[in-house]
Amino acid sequence: MNKKQKIRALIIFACAFVAILAGVILTGLNKTGHGEDIQVVMRDAVLHETYKVSLFGLIDVNPGLISAFVVTGVFLVFALIVRIFVIPKFKIIPGKFQMFLEQMVEMFSNMAKGNSPECYKFIGAYIFAAGSYICVGTLFELFGFQVMTTSGTSIALPAPLSDINGAVCMGCLTYIIIMIGGIVKNGIVGFGRTIKEFSLPISMSFRLFGALLSGALVTELVYHATVMSYGIPVLVGVLFTLLHALIQAYVLTTLASTYFGEVTEKKIKKPKKAKKAAA
Amino acid sequence: MNGVPLNLDWQQILLHLLNFVILFAILYFLLYKPVKNFMDKRKAAYQEMDDAANAAKQEAETIKAECEEKLAGLDAEMAKKRQEAIDAAQQRAKSITDNASQQASELLAKAEKQAEAERDRIIAEAGAKVTEMAKEAAEKAIFSDTSEAFDSFLEAAEGKNQ
Repeated sequence: MNKKQKIRALIIFACAFVAILAGVILTGLNKTGHGEDIQVVMRDAVLHETYKVSLFGLIDVNPGLISAFVVTGVFLVFALIVRIFVIPKFKIIPGKFQMFLEQMVEMFSNMAKGNSPECYKFIGAYIFAAGSYICVGTLFELFGFQVMTTSGTSIALPAPLSDINGAVCMGCLTYIIIMIGGIVKNGIVGFGRTIKEFSLPISMSFRLFGALLSGALVTELVYHATVMSYGIPVLVGVLFTLLHALIQAYVLTTLASTYFGEVTEKKIKKPKKAKKAAA
Repeated sequence: MNGVPLNLDWQQILLHLLNFVILFAILYFLLYKPVKNFMDKRKAAYQEMDDAANAAKQEAETIKAECEEKLAGLDAEMAKKRQEAIDAAQQRAKSITDNASQQASELLAKAEKQAEAERDRIIAEAGAKVTEMAKEAAEKAIFSDTSEAFDSFLEAAEGKNQ
């Protein structure tokens, strides 16, 4: 680091320090700067009682559902553009974007094949969709699209899976798919193996919900403490969002493919002679 | 807060489910399947190329082995042919030598025979001449001086011998 860089770093540090100090002095340490109670925000993040959004004027829903629809719409547009304009121009030696798409598909396909070698085609497609949904859905909250609630306030759209209903949907759907796979592949044995893991839908649902909620709550807490509300929420929020997007997508897809592999695994029957000899 | 824990709303869960099913269908039909098909086709094409290359390599190795085998046989055959040619040449040389030797013997015998015949002829002629000379000498002796006849006989004989 030369002299100029040192001076520049010192100036930046001094500016940041002065800004934080000014914030502390001007706003006061014990006041919240948002006119809304942190307890209300956190309670609503868990229970979704306060802020509702009208769905086409038909019913009032949690903002997470609106986020889910928006994410699906974004995926639809993206997939259509890729299908119409990109995939027909695929080359034998791929370019960067083609490489990215192929890597995504291959990663989930190989994960399914590795964890569930008996039956991997459907679960490969499922974890591709689930992983993409969780990852993009979680990153979606970074954009902070505003939506008007029924109470007239404006809120930023959260991640779809920070809504308990979305998380329960993903957990239960994954469990149902695992169960159907087990029944199709192994009949009653597969059903029994799935039932044995009866806590799976609850654990999956609450893992997703808890992970995403914790990120949101920590960010809210940091944001509501005035002294920490300058710059730090951005860092914390982005960090939590990015980490949760990748980690939760990886965890759910790995768990889904592993359990699917377990229940679809063929039971190896012992030969009768060996049994008799053992007896 | 109503009686449902965490305010779970079945209607919204179903809406989330519907949303995800639509998303799954979109991603499967528009992205996952086409990309996977493309990758599978490319993999199959590369596999086909690999198989063709392996088959060509196998064929080349077979041909090489056959050629080496043929080459080894060819060497042996060449050695055999060379030996046969040497044998034939030797036989022919021997035959020519024998033939030449026989011809030479024949020629020699013929020459000897001719020489013998020539000698006999010369001897016969010489005998005849001697006889004639003797006859002439006798005639001369009869008709001239004996010493002169004898001298002329000797001179004549010496002249013949030279």
